[in-house]
Amino acid sequence: MTLGAAGRALLVVFTAVIIQLTIGTDLRIGTAHPEILWLLPITAGVVGGPERGAIMGFVGGIAADLFVPAPFGISALVGCTLGFVVGLLAAGGLGEVKRDSPLLAVGAALIGSAGAVMLYAVFGALLGQEQFLDLDLGLIVAVVSIANAILAVPAMRVMAWAIAPSEGSRRRSTGTVGRW
Amino acid sequence: MAKPRRSRRTLTTIVVLVLLSVSIITFGQRGGGAIASGVKSLAHDIVSPIANGVNDILRPIGDFFAGAFHYGALAQENEKLQASIGRLRMQQASVASQQRQLAQITALQHLPYIGSLPTVTAQVQGAYVSNFAATVTIDKGRNAGVALGMPVVGYGGLVGQVVEADKSSSVIRLVTDGQTKVGVTYGPAGAFATVTGEGPRVALAAQFVDPAATIHKGELMTTNGQDASEFPKGIPVGRVTSFSVVPGASQMSVALAPAADLSNISYVDVVLWETSP
Repeated sequence: MTLGAAGRALLVVFTAVIIQLTIGTDLRIGTAHPEILWLLPITAGVVGGPERGAIMGFVGGIAADLFVPAPFGISALVGCTLGFVVGLLAAGGLGEVKRDSPLLAVGAALIGSAGAVMLYAVFGALLGQEQFLDLDLGLIVAVVSIANAILAVPAMRVMAWAIAPSEGSRRRSTGTVGRW
Repeated sequence: MAKPRRSRRTLTTIVVLVLLSVSIITFGQRGGGAIASGVKSLAHDIVSPIANGVNDILRPIGDFFAGAFHYGALAQENEKLQASIGRLRMQQASVASQQRQLAQITALQHLPYIGSLPTVTAQVQGAYVSNFAATVTIDKGRNAGVALGMPVVGYGGLVGQVVEADKSSSVIRLVTDGQTKVGVTYGPAGAFATVTGEGPRVALAAQFVDPAATIHKGELMTTNGQDASEFPKGIPVGRVTSFSVVPGASQMSVALAPAADLSNISYVDVVLWETSP
């Protein structure tokens, strides 16, 4: 990843944090609200493959951990795992052409977000936050997944802008970055 | 050869990131909490002014969508408000009614269980920064003397505890949050128990209540203020709503409703009380 791409990626993470802290927490259904930061590893995984997915998941997770009253590092652990798995599935099972499909974006956001919430609850419980499993996880999964699915296509485009290599380096390499 | 090398690098990256995450978690759990807290406060200080500015611009959009999602609830609330307005109009001429309202506001300003402890009154700005924690954000922070761990009270009793504090705002973990544990006392003999949160909109639970204890519905449990307690003595925490004893159990199963009305908190008092070492 070039310095420019890293800068763009950090800008995207920062913007996502601001959106989450403002609109994100206001859009509540019952006790649940969207968690758009999970879109970072999901979109990076689809667009850039498992490695970039994992890195973006870690950075986005650390950013999320800064603003929630929970053990520091859980979101980072979930984020890098999520980005890696999504990236593996997108790279291995679907091929280059289908990566541009909006259906893939929506599907990855739906399933990935559900997985992220469940993983967060399980990791939290393993780290002594047993109450995470007592919450209305069904509602949280539904709200987070649907919100992220709605935002998936524009988020993919933003992520492609952020982490895609320049035209020159793209021609030189056989990189796995999708076209979005 | 390029592919195996790429795969190896990817595998190395994920292993390093997972180990790094686990190290950060372990560090935070084993004494590094203060450093993590400092980093969080710094991040809040940097991001809060920007978020507040963006919020001022975007709040109407958020409110619009929130209104759309909660249309049914809003319609119901609207009906209730209309009814309330009707009742209030009838009472408008009544001086007695106005005096009662004034008394309620005064009571909020002078909560009896706080005594002479200094407090900072703060306005509640938002709720639930995380789906996994019952929290609210208030508009007072370190600049007003608010610090981590300080108790927060409202009309009725304990609201929660400060878990994040930046310069101009703080996050309060509500008493209903699953991480809440409060030492309480109850009954004429002043027996001790621990009240724990069980999650948003779920009753509180009292742990370590002797199965032979005499307890009754509506009984008030208050903070016990024991040595190094995180809360001063005498703050109402919850009222018993139900209790039962399973034969052979070592403790009674007790459910409580929070003493403070958490469903409708606009203003709270942060008690400027820090745990003595």
